[in-house]
Amino acid sequence: MASVTLDNVTKAYGDEIAVEDMNLEIRDGEFLTLVGPSGCGKSTTMETIAGLTQPTEGSVYIGGRDVTDLPPKDRGIAMVFQNIALFPHMDVYDNISFGLRLRKYDQEEIEKRVDRAAEIVQLGGMMDRMPEEMSGGQRQRVAIARAIVRQPDVFLMDEPLANLDAELRIHMRTQLQRLHRELDTTIIYVTHDQAQAMTMSDRVAVIDNGHLQQVDPPLTCYNAPDNLFVASFIGSPAMNFFHGAVTDDGFGSEFMNLGFDPEEIGATPGKDATLGIRPEDVYLKRDREEATVPSETIKAHVDVLEPMGDEVFTYLLLEEDVETSAEGRGEGQLLLSLDPQTDIEEGQKVEVVFDRHEAHLFDSASEEAIAHSLA
Amino acid sequence: MESSQDAVAGAGTGEHAVEDRRARLRRFWKSDFVRSAPYWGIPLLLMGLAVYGGIIWNILISLTDYQGFLERPDYGNLDLEMYRQALSDSAVHLTARNTFVLLVAFTSVSLVLGLFLAVLLDRDIREKSKVQTIYLLPMALSFVVTAQFWLWMYNYNDGLVNTVIGLFGLGPYNWIGNPSLVLGAVIFALIWQFSGYTMVVFLAGLQSISNDQFEAARVDGASIFKTYWRVIIPQLKSSSVSAAVVLMIFALKIFTFLYAMFGTYRPPKGTDVLATLMVREAFQLQKWAYSASIATILLAMSLLVIAPYLYYQYREGAL
Amino acid sequence: MSQTTTSDRDGIASLLPEFNYRRLGLYLVIMLFVAFFVSPIWTGLVTSFKPPGQATQPLLPPGPELFTLDSWSRALDNLGRGFVNSFAMAVPATLVNVLLASTAAYGLTLVDWRRQMLVVLLFVFGIFIPYQAILVPLDNFWTNIFPLAKGLAIGNVTVIPANQRWGTLAELAITHVAYGIPICFLLFRSYYKTISKELIEAAKVDGASVTRIYTRIVLPLSTPMIGVVLIYQFTQIWNEFLFSLTLIGSSADQAATITLILSGIGADLSGTNFPLRMAAAFLAALPTIIIYVLFAEQFAEGLSAG
Repeated sequence: MASVTLDNVTKAYGDEIAVEDMNLEIRDGEFLTLVGPSGCGKSTTMETIAGLTQPTEGSVYIGGRDVTDLPPKDRGIAMVFQNIALFPHMDVYDNISFGLRLRKYDQEEIEKRVDRAAEIVQLGGMMDRMPEEMSGGQRQRVAIARAIVRQPDVFLMDEPLANLDAELRIHMRTQLQRLHRELDTTIIYVTHDQAQAMTMSDRVAVIDNGHLQQVDPPLTCYNAPDNLFVASFIGSPAMNFFHGAVTDDGFGSEFMNLGFDPEEIGATPGKDATLGIRPEDVYLKRDREEATVPSETIKAHVDVLEPMGDEVFTYLLLEEDVETSAEGRGEGQLLLSLDPQTDIEEGQKVEVVFDRHEAHLFDSASEEAIAHSLA
Repeated sequence: MESSQDAVAGAGTGEHAVEDRRARLRRFWKSDFVRSAPYWGIPLLLMGLAVYGGIIWNILISLTDYQGFLERPDYGNLDLEMYRQALSDSAVHLTARNTFVLLVAFTSVSLVLGLFLAVLLDRDIREKSKVQTIYLLPMALSFVVTAQFWLWMYNYNDGLVNTVIGLFGLGPYNWIGNPSLVLGAVIFALIWQFSGYTMVVFLAGLQSISNDQFEAARVDGASIFKTYWRVIIPQLKSSSVSAAVVLMIFALKIFTFLYAMFGTYRPPKGTDVLATLMVREAFQLQKWAYSASIATILLAMSLLVIAPYLYYQYREGAL
Repeated sequence: MSQTTTSDRDGIASLLPEFNYRRLGLYLVIMLFVAFFVSPIWTGLVTSFKPPGQATQPLLPPGPELFTLDSWSRALDNLGRGFVNSFAMAVPATLVNVLLASTAAYGLTLVDWRRQMLVVLLFVFGIFIPYQAILVPLDNFWTNIFPLAKGLAIGNVTVIPANQRWGTLAELAITHVAYGIPICFLLFRSYYKTISKELIEAAKVDGASVTRIYTRIVLPLSTPMIGVVLIYQFTQIWNEFLFSLTLIGSSADQAATITLILSGIGADLSGTNFPLRMAAAFLAALPTIIIYVLFAEQFAEGLSAG
């Protein structure tokens, strides 16, 4: 068990800067997820912690010890890889015990630890199977056992569930949470899938473009995103945005106006701003009492319905002549999620409200959040 | 930058700099570069001395006037005399011309025939792997062996070639003895040996093209011929380039086949090439410096083929 | 029952388009090329069983009254020494080649360090060198600088006793190793590039050093490629001629390799003894033909990768 600290870490490949000036403190025993779109620098960050790559600048500390110059094996870490990376010519037992045998543990200790690790990931009775004889999920469990058998201070997991099918991924998600509870070890987890980040982590570190965007518990990232990137990346389906400006008495845009006192929330009239509303905070007019502080009614008509089973994603157009943009939602479109029982059909005119208490306002220029409630 | 700043600062930071250097040295010794050095260093040393040491030494020798059995090369007196001689030597001109004809004819026909065979076999055929094994068989044989076979094939009285064309009322021809036929005869034999190789290269290229493309072309209504010509063959560019480079380099250095066929350093006039001329000048006539200069010319010609190829491969990240 | 009949009819119907003229033409062309590739070998084979001077009708095997194994037994007598020499030289040279090429490819492919591409280029370039460009220095090196065949002494201590035959063969083997490294390197490298980078990283995190990763992970995973390179390189060295000619010179030499002896066999002032030559050619090619027939796939793989 140990904390992990990144101190001003920068990693450049030639002219390409993968990670820039990153400061991150991961607490002892914490499950922290590095999340971001592909190519954002999260894997580089992980490799820097593992020692598989050297930072161009800055230092890495594990358990308070400067490990920047240490090779991976001396850092007290274990790692689970995206492609699972089991040694194909070794059976399960040899795969799990590989690291222990290299470190010359005595036979009894090795067997004890392998048994215990196999028990934790429920691999009993498969010790002499070869990787190619196993299913994806079983292989992933071997990879995890290979990591836990070393009793590392820190677990690094690089997209370990990315190559599993959806059902298995959800199953393994709960397995990993259970594992974290049992082992009580620091786990650093890399994924591009915000759903995995939300469900498993104690805290989420959102990364974009080599920069840390926000490090907070998942719900904080969801409810109070620090900036536009975090707001759009976390949450599925994504937040609705309206681009406009702060006026003397609120927010104004082509499709949506909202009255509030700019001074009260620290907004400067005249500045470009973006209003963000999550789909679940939009209600049909008749359900307006469900909103804590309902907004004025907005007139729209239904463009497309996407029944998901437990809910219906309803895409609204706020004006008649707005064209549906090919790539997702454009200006003047609003997504809300409705109960499947709702009697609604495409083309129908509707009136909706949103919950002002859950509306977010961002500075369009700096992309920083101004307020997380406009009640 | 840091160290210069350290130097300006006092003794305290000087110690720090020493420490820093030590840490850097330690890191260097533990780096993958140093740790992996024995793995690639020993082969590199051996191969480097043999190949690059050999090339440099060869160029050095070509600048002396080293010849004969007893003398040693005199490296004190270097000039380009041998190159001057070589460039005005009619034997060099003749062999260079033959080399060029051989290179162009052998490479192009082998490529075309190999492609034809690959397309022929790139379909559902009974005993396909056996057929492929037979086509490639000559490539497994030494040139010394195949040269014996072809010498017999081209035999004036009882050879198979004259027997076969005799069936059509042609010949017999003196394939080996006639200076205007012998180069063609040699090229034909080499094509026999190498087209299986080009076939294998093209087959590997064809197999990497997904079946979807055949099906897409078929859905679009393209005939088999059109499908190959318009869709498949254009995608074999990199296979063709690789095979062509290998064939051209072989054509430049061909010696064994000619020596084994004619049993002497001097092949008949019509098929004497730079590569045989070089070996003959060296090991029959002991004109070391002169042959070294011909070897350098040969190397330069190979470089013209290899350098663009390797540069292209390097840029594609294919090495 | 009715189901069986319908499927039978379908079966015949689906076979019918197979038997069309285009298909027939295809097989004819394929067989024509089979004949093209086999005929020089076939005519050599039938001739080797005929007595010299009576080798007519090149495609037909000899009748029982002409059939003779004389040429084969004479060829065997002539080539016997060459067999021993070629094996003694080619086997160790191939093994060392495989070892050095695989370590080099490992250090330059699976261990990552800056500017290693420059070294890779040096190796790859070595594949394409025409050997004429190093032939004079090579001869000079083994004759004047480091005449291994004349023995090796440091001071007064004889490290290697002088032995013309085995010394020359050792020179030849070392030469083959040095110039064989580049192509074998490339074969191994192309294979190592398919090994997942994560596998190496996993071993690294588990605590394996550069050496351990090689012996415990890379080498065990290399077995298919080791087979390919062994077959390919042994065939190359066995078939090689130019180095033998340069270092040994004469087919009468005690150290003469099989290709060297073959090149001079059956030729004298009275003309060429073709049956003897053909028999000798087959004998000399026998090991490579056996290897080829057994491992055609690996051989093809080596060729197309190289």
